[in-house]
Amino acid sequence: MEKLFDIFLLMLDGTQITLEIFFVTLLLSLPLGMMAALGRLSSLKIISRIVEFYIWIMRGTPLMLQLLFVYFALPMIGIRLPDIAAALLAFTLNYAAYFAEIFRAGIQAVPKGQYEAAKTLGMSYPQTMRRIILPQVIRIVLPPVSNETINLVKDTSLVYILAMNDLLRVARTIVQREFDMTPFLFAAIFYLAMTFVLTWGFKKLEAHYGKY
Amino acid sequence: MANTNTGEIMLKMTDIHKAYDDLEVLKGIDIEVRRGEVLAIIGPSGSGKSTLLRCINKLETIDKGSIAIKDKFLVQTKDSEAVYASGKAEREILSSTGMVFQQFNLFPHMTVLENLLEAPMQVKGLKRSEVEPYARELLAKVGLSDRADYYPSQLSGGQQQRVAIARALCMKPDIMLFDEPTSALDPELTGEVLKTMRELAAEHMTMVVVTHEMAFAREAASQVIFMADGNIVEQGEPEAFFAAPKEERTKAFLQNML
Repeated sequence: MEKLFDIFLLMLDGTQITLEIFFVTLLLSLPLGMMAALGRLSSLKIISRIVEFYIWIMRGTPLMLQLLFVYFALPMIGIRLPDIAAALLAFTLNYAAYFAEIFRAGIQAVPKGQYEAAKTLGMSYPQTMRRIILPQVIRIVLPPVSNETINLVKDTSLVYILAMNDLLRVARTIVQREFDMTPFLFAAIFYLAMTFVLTWGFKKLEAHYGKY
Repeated sequence: MANTNTGEIMLKMTDIHKAYDDLEVLKGIDIEVRRGEVLAIIGPSGSGKSTLLRCINKLETIDKGSIAIKDKFLVQTKDSEAVYASGKAEREILSSTGMVFQQFNLFPHMTVLENLLEAPMQVKGLKRSEVEPYARELLAKVGLSDRADYYPSQLSGGQQQRVAIARALCMKPDIMLFDEPTSALDPELTGEVLKTMRELAAEHMTMVVVTHEMAFAREAASQVIFMADGNIVEQGEPEAFFAAPKEERTKAFLQNML
């Protein structure tokens, strides 16, 4: 029993790393994704093209490869980042690309008539986006954003290749040392608990934004 | 309702030309609307009537010609190039128009009352307490006082369109533009919207109405224009226009509409 409690404590440490990567990535990639979506929809061809290229690279290569690149390849050209920063950079750039496409589709799903109505009422473009378009976009994108967010919880486990002691790596270390499978069971329960909270949170958000 | 109006000219469009690539949709249109007049624009689909209306508030831009609202130029042609007023001047000119769309275009995430308050508060920077009494007055006028806290999706099409009219009026425009306001409605719901429009006309609101409702054009308009293929085919006061159209095309169109 005491042994189980020790394992539990060790895994809580790992969970902390996992949650740290999760929250910081989410916090950075959502606004970055929104900016990329607006860039993608920009009437300036050059901006739109650059963003399109960025999204293509990020969605077209494995996240694992991107992590390795930031961690091992960047130091070769003199950019050496602390472990956690390297992981966060790769995760943020990757997830922002996915969010950008979700937001772009959401923005395009709002009927043209909404822009026209706002314009004929004298509203400026920033006012129209902030007050009229984005609130409707949020409702449209919540389900796919919820999906990506839950993916992110599980994708954080990829940092094990950077030798960071996240939840899954801690579990694996204990399993290999003790020849005891319980840590894997614990890990599964921890991930499930996190996704349960997220699912619940998004359900609340959807109810809030879906009241009309 | 004879056209004896000698009031101030509210809208003057001169020699309006517009083309999409090679397709000419407006081929030199002239229009003049005085204060309190109701101009009904009728015509088959593809005649350019909606495009013409949308040029008045710059939802569409013109290639050549001039548009003046209350004597201020929104656009005029210099050296065969259409030059628009810019920035603040343009916003001021456009703020004297209000528009009602075929598809209502209410803001779905806001209640009826919020739809009305939005622009006066955001654009004019008014406080809620300064707008709300007027907004509620307008809702009463269109017969929807009891729906102030409903969302648009909870209303019928006719009710939504009446909210849209109230929303446009809440910005206190001098000219109201209607783009086929009853075309998306079930037949039994058009009456309530047309009634609201008739009441507005009776209060001498200046209106430009693109419509398929011949009865409305006949009873409420002070001037009727029949458009086809980007041209004005015939124009006149409703009595004469409907009783004795001069042009063959007008006759054929009116016969089809009955």
